[in-house]
Amino acid sequence: MQSKLTDTELIQKTLAGDQSAYADLVKRHQRFVFTLAMRFTKNREDAEEVAQDCFIKAYRSLDNFKQESKFSTWLYSIVYTTAMTSLRKKRLDTSSIDDEETDIQIAAVPSGYDTNNAENRSRSFYLNQAIEQLSADDAAIITLFYKGEQSLEEIAQTLGVEANSVKVKLFRARQRLKEKLERNLKHEVKELI
Amino acid sequence: MNSIEERLWDYIDGNCSATERETIDLLLIESDEYRQKYLELLAFNREIAGIELEEPSMAFTYNVIEQIRTEHARQPLKAKVNQNIVKTIAGFFIVTLAALLIFIIFNINWKVTGTHVNSTPVKMPDIKNWLSGGILQAFLFLNTVLALFLLDGVLRKRIFTRQA
Repeated sequence: MQSKLTDTELIQKTLAGDQSAYADLVKRHQRFVFTLAMRFTKNREDAEEVAQDCFIKAYRSLDNFKQESKFSTWLYSIVYTTAMTSLRKKRLDTSSIDDEETDIQIAAVPSGYDTNNAENRSRSFYLNQAIEQLSADDAAIITLFYKGEQSLEEIAQTLGVEANSVKVKLFRARQRLKEKLERNLKHEVKELI
Repeated sequence: MNSIEERLWDYIDGNCSATERETIDLLLIESDEYRQKYLELLAFNREIAGIELEEPSMAFTYNVIEQIRTEHARQPLKAKVNQNIVKTIAGFFIVTLAALLIFIIFNINWKVTGTHVNSTPVKMPDIKNWLSGGILQAFLFLNTVLALFLLDGVLRKRIFTRQA
């Protein structure tokens, strides 16, 4: 069972030497941190390594955390920098935002988001598949906005950019996600026919 | 000018001004295109918000805490020593040495003339009195204890490295 204490209270207990309080903090944030790491690494093993690394880094610098922002915002900025460093190290092929060559080439898709009747599998499966096809930045920004309960300003702080720039990036990321989802669903329809 | 989609996303996210909101409210009543696009984006928005978070392995928290514990155990002594204490000791020695140097400089007789220096011989303390049997034994005993203490430290470190 997870602790009902706030993040700040758990941090104070951790700083006083209570490691179980930090375990509660980890339990509270691990799913999101792991998901965010997955958006960058695209595989579970690397994501788990990155996520663990983030929590250890956060523990080491916990006494430097000034509590001017939410703990989650601070933690996500650690995830972002750690994941980016890991990506650079492993030279993972993060497909470029505009690189459509790697995508499945399908005939022009008529507009209309809800034009499909293809699934045996659920739409969430296709949505997850489309997120995996996004660039790391796009996938991260969507995850931060929808699952991290982060405002545009907080995301800007995490990514080290302006809030306006985050707004534009989010808009583009959603557009690309929509396009990829439509393309994947059309592809599925074609296969069924 | 913003595209319809851009304006509608701002509307859905709550990022537009009150005036803009009113304008879009009207457009949603009057324009079929706006209404259709809005419903489409709203459905898409709900769908993204409904994505499940990934679940790490069962041992995730345990692994993190274990790694932290191991790191704590491995922490070298120099990292545990309070840096303020080190700085205070360093400061004390620097001040003492500086004071001694200043004292010596001020006490030097710069007006020495001629080739003959009338120096008084330095009187060294007679250490034979100090090296009596009891004191020497105590000194040797202390050194033996210190040597054993250091050896113990080295061996412990070696065992710990092997276990890690």
